[in-house]
Amino acid sequence: MSRFRQQRIILSLIIRNPISLVSLLIVACFVFLGISAPLTVPYPEDAWGLTYNVEKRFLSPSLEHPFGTDALGRDVFSRVLLGSSFSLVIAIGVIGLALFIGIPIGVVAGYYGGRIGTLLMRITDMFLAFPPLLLAIVLAATLGRGLLNLIIALAISWWPWYARLIYVQTNTVKTMPYIDAAKIAGIPGAKIIFRHVIPNALTPTLVQAALDMGSAILEAAGLSFIGVGVKPPTPEWGLLVSEGWQSINYAWWIVFFPGLAIMITVLGFNLLADALRESADPRLRRTILMRLGVKQ
Amino acid sequence: MPVSKEYLVKRIILLVFVIFGVLFLTFIITRLIPARPELLWAGPHATMEQIEKARKQLHLDQPLYIQFILYLQDFLTGNWGISWRTKAPVLTDVLSTLTATLELVIIAFLIAFITGIPVGVLAALKRYNWIDDLVRIITVIGASMPVFWLALIAQLVFGNWLGLLPSAKRADEWITIVTGFKSITGFYLIDSMLQGNLPVFIDALRRVILPAFVLAAYPFCLTARMTRAVMIEVLSEQHVRSLIAWGLPQRAILFKYCLKNTLVPVIASLGLSFGYTIIGAFMVELVFVWPGIGFYAAMSLLSFDYPAVIGCVITVAIFYCIVNTIVDLVHSIIDPRVRL
Repeated sequence: MSRFRQQRIILSLIIRNPISLVSLLIVACFVFLGISAPLTVPYPEDAWGLTYNVEKRFLSPSLEHPFGTDALGRDVFSRVLLGSSFSLVIAIGVIGLALFIGIPIGVVAGYYGGRIGTLLMRITDMFLAFPPLLLAIVLAATLGRGLLNLIIALAISWWPWYARLIYVQTNTVKTMPYIDAAKIAGIPGAKIIFRHVIPNALTPTLVQAALDMGSAILEAAGLSFIGVGVKPPTPEWGLLVSEGWQSINYAWWIVFFPGLAIMITVLGFNLLADALRESADPRLRRTILMRLGVKQ
Repeated sequence: MPVSKEYLVKRIILLVFVIFGVLFLTFIITRLIPARPELLWAGPHATMEQIEKARKQLHLDQPLYIQFILYLQDFLTGNWGISWRTKAPVLTDVLSTLTATLELVIIAFLIAFITGIPVGVLAALKRYNWIDDLVRIITVIGASMPVFWLALIAQLVFGNWLGLLPSAKRADEWITIVTGFKSITGFYLIDSMLQGNLPVFIDALRRVILPAFVLAAYPFCLTARMTRAVMIEVLSEQHVRSLIAWGLPQRAILFKYCLKNTLVPVIASLGLSFGYTIIGAFMVELVFVWPGIGFYAAMSLLSFDYPAVIGCVITVAIFYCIVNTIVDLVHSIIDPRVRL
């Protein structure tokens, strides 16, 4: 089966399955809202946290304020909506930076192997010895609060996973005949890496990275909640939950809606990851195809 | 089948190296990344004298490699600095919080395993049935929920709105004073049971339910999904087909032959789900005012108490490495292939 046909089958499987289709829609919606939110929020000043409306404190959800208002009288809906932009920036930033660190290390370790490879992979293992998020916590505590610091802290705790993934891929690609052919043709190592190894080894890592965006959003929210993420009044979802915490007993909506936004977004990415995994596994794919009544 | 001595020694040596790696990385992060580590160490409201003292404590006047040696020495001798929030040595603080977290995490893990494995097996058996779809959706939702949010909502709904369960702290102070309860090991449930102190036992049990279930949500989802995936794999294997052909009753096939093979990878994944759980404990303990290491760390983070944060991070990381080693050893006992 050609690669193109395989990709088409995967795509059609995702569209045919209602759960997967929903997940695709959630992710598409999130990306669209994230891009458009800064222009379309109903109360931009509330969203950016610049206002204090005494008379509008703790209003429960209504038509005017669908998610109610918070302790400073700001529209929660606007803040949650703008939060999607921040989550999108965080997700892309963390994953992008993690790939930027992880890919070169994994490729170099895999391609050259030997002592350099061992050293690089030992360094990678050292990062992986920490439980997930713990390294990000200590980094964020060291760097201080802020959006950029949060992204850096998460990316530094994240890249080892990609380095490992691409290391394994590089090791398989390395043994392919075309690499030997390129070597015999006298092409320099760097050029082989960029022209032949990376393009062929990258796909699984990139797919994994795209699907990890959900976890990146989740972990960033966790860091903001325990006070090492973004600074107030940034409308980041985790921080919004923590801001609403004090008044949760009489204004549940301030906590509820940002958390719901996190859950739905992460759910979209996770379901999509599930669907991709199932349809990319040939054995599982066959049974799904049979179940859907598709002739192969 | 005992573990071979050779393998045990190999794993322990590896553990020492990994812990060394953890300490090395923490050293780099805490001493090399900040421009002036002593400022972080002394806290936000420090005087010049305190900053100078922090400088001495961190040996910043020495060359870097000596700093590292002294840092290791400080670590081994228990000289972890003074928390400026509690004014106590960090090591003492951290040790006093460990059992509370352990109690919570162990209960959460028990809940996760006792419920997760049967649910996973059920989903695998009812594959392509609505039960499987339901389990899949529930477990994916559970794995997508921010644990701090779940904790807040559970506290609000069960603690405040319905008033079913107390939703903060480990024990009621009034009850402990009246009944003269003193915890010896730090595990309230075990201690109160051994001392026959029923009121405290019931109180502690009621208080542990909410945080434990919230904390169990994520490992439950991981376990159920993992069990389902492995069970499907095992069920499609040749030897299971021969067992069916031999006419063995389904129950015997399932429990005697399949479940054991299913549990091996599930147990092997226990280390990672322990990692997620202990980090989840940071947030759950903060919400439920549970006086464990997570609560201590989160409070220290919120008040910029740097030495305390580092102490917690190192402790949790080392704990995680030890748990992983134990999991590997157990794995090698139940699956002899690992030892090869």
